[in-house]
Amino acid sequence: MSFLRRAAPYLLVLPSLVYALVFTGYPLAYVLGMAFSGRNPAILEVIFSPRLGEAALFTAVIVASVIPAQLALAIFASLFFLQNFRGRDLVLYIFVIPLAVSEVAAALLWYTMLSSSGFLNKALMRIGLISRPIYFFGYQFRDRTLLAIVLTEIWRATAIVFVIIYAGLQMINREYLEAADVFGMSFWQKLRYVILPLLKPSIQTALVIRTLFALQIVGPIFVLGGEYIRVLATEVVYWYSMRLNPAVASAWAVLVGAVTLALGGLYIKLLSPKGVMQ
Amino acid sequence: MRGLLAGLLHEKNITVEFVPLGYADMAAKLEAEVTTGKVTVTVVGGLATEIDFFASKGLLEDLGKFGTLPDRTFVRTALNVVDEMKNRYGVTAFAPWMTATFLVVVNNRAFEYLPQGLTKEDVLTGTEKWTWDALVAWARNIYEKTGERRMGLPAGAGGLLHRLLHGYLYVSYTGYQSRHFDSPEAVELWNMLKELWKYCHPESTTWAAMADPLIRGDVWIAWDHTARVVAALKTMPETFTAVPVPRGLNSRGYIIVLAGLAIPKGAPDQDAGWELIEFLTRPEIQARVAENVGFFPVVEEATPVIVDPGIKVLSAGVSRQLATPDGKAVFIPVLGGKAGDYVALYREAFERIVLKGEEITGVLAELRPKLDAIFTELGIEAP
Repeated sequence: MSFLRRAAPYLLVLPSLVYALVFTGYPLAYVLGMAFSGRNPAILEVIFSPRLGEAALFTAVIVASVIPAQLALAIFASLFFLQNFRGRDLVLYIFVIPLAVSEVAAALLWYTMLSSSGFLNKALMRIGLISRPIYFFGYQFRDRTLLAIVLTEIWRATAIVFVIIYAGLQMINREYLEAADVFGMSFWQKLRYVILPLLKPSIQTALVIRTLFALQIVGPIFVLGGEYIRVLATEVVYWYSMRLNPAVASAWAVLVGAVTLALGGLYIKLLSPKGVMQ
Repeated sequence: MRGLLAGLLHEKNITVEFVPLGYADMAAKLEAEVTTGKVTVTVVGGLATEIDFFASKGLLEDLGKFGTLPDRTFVRTALNVVDEMKNRYGVTAFAPWMTATFLVVVNNRAFEYLPQGLTKEDVLTGTEKWTWDALVAWARNIYEKTGERRMGLPAGAGGLLHRLLHGYLYVSYTGYQSRHFDSPEAVELWNMLKELWKYCHPESTTWAAMADPLIRGDVWIAWDHTARVVAALKTMPETFTAVPVPRGLNSRGYIIVLAGLAIPKGAPDQDAGWELIEFLTRPEIQARVAENVGFFPVVEEATPVIVDPGIKVLSAGVSRQLATPDGKAVFIPVLGGKAGDYVALYREAFERIVLKGEEITGVLAELRPKLDAIFTELGIEAP
């Protein structure tokens, strides 16, 4: 083989590699530098920070609530849209619309709906179900605020998971499903023994993508929770914008990155599609 | 702003591109541009504390080289800040641009629920009966009579609650913003605040500005920055009255905020920049700015020229506050890069004492050394 033929694969990858090094590698190295350098590295301040426990807890609560709910909803929605019914494309379109709404806009929308003089409370009071508004926001109602945050995220971003799962579902060979029918499997058996195993690659992709973004949610948390609900990602924004301390902000960002990598690695290990072809 | 700047184009053939930026973005941009020598910004406008941060990093030109601005009298308090920065950094860092304060805005319905011993006149003129304790009694009265908490504070992310703490309450109770952080008078302050919080609207912790809650009628008595309530006054000028803040054991403490115009070091078109500064500090232009953004003029010749009804109401409130005999005006401490840490300590005190209910003296004792460390590091006396 000539040199050019052997070198071709590497040369083709080179532009992407350069791009990645310059726009991802360099900033990454810079951030790592800010987080770990100096006699009193910022990363230590984060690890021993009194805010870490609460931030980790709220992150876990939000991520653990949002992702399974979205996955389940996406799978059922996909199965639903697989059937052909009149107006299906229109309903599908409406289902996906929230994706176009920004994080902050979605949060403001839900704030207007759930605030004490908002849509929900006014409606409930109009029909006489309650006489005092139900508070979703405020320090003493933090658990309800968490619920509002989770609802906002599910409303806004389930479509991302859905789109991936739906595409995966459409690729499943109909013959498998028909064979399952011939064997007299119920809907739940079909789901468990045929559909879900074949969907594993899509589920894995969807989970990785969704978790990555779930760990970066900041807009809804600031809008709905003020400064009093803290997650790992909001700490990055807080330390950079409000405390004017880029080093500590970098350290928190490194932490978010580490958690994301860890979770991503876990998904890949647990959901590797070996045995699917059996 | 853009409409205003068109006037400068017409007069001196100078085109100004106005770019609003958040502070963090502005700081990053300025630092990057000045240190690499590729400056694209001719004039930067910001709060005196922000400009102080830039000056502390040597990012600004010395405006002294352009001469003086004729036919206008800058308010004494603004010039004092310019002088202070000159002493600290060796340059005339900025020209005063606008000023503001924080005060109380009352929905006129609330006056029907004044507590015993407090009259509307007391509130309007700031007599010795208009105290923070009287405010607590007022808010409690509203709660008992209507069942709703109608007092509001901007305690959310981006809200300016910390200014209330160090610039208003601490000055009113201890005479200083930070010097007597853990004194017995400070403990009184926190006790009062805990009591007041019982009658504050719970969604206060989500509010960055009080204009919308006032407009919606969720809140009848609000404390906030003039710029953050101006929308309410412009929308419904007959509904609200702007009043001076209450007093504490020591005095009636309040903050004067200052915004200024500066020129980055190595900026292009600096002469044109100076013309812009001259333009923006003219009395007629100052009056028009006041009518639009809820910040007030820094030149004495501008105030008589304001026409907008909402701004008139707000302006009346500001004047009343500035005229109270026991008023004690302070500036936000100029702390450079440590400003964020300073503010965070007060917010932490609020969260732990008022929201979480931790024991007051313990929290204050724990935070005091951290506060002192900031002043020690900067080599200044505690304000």
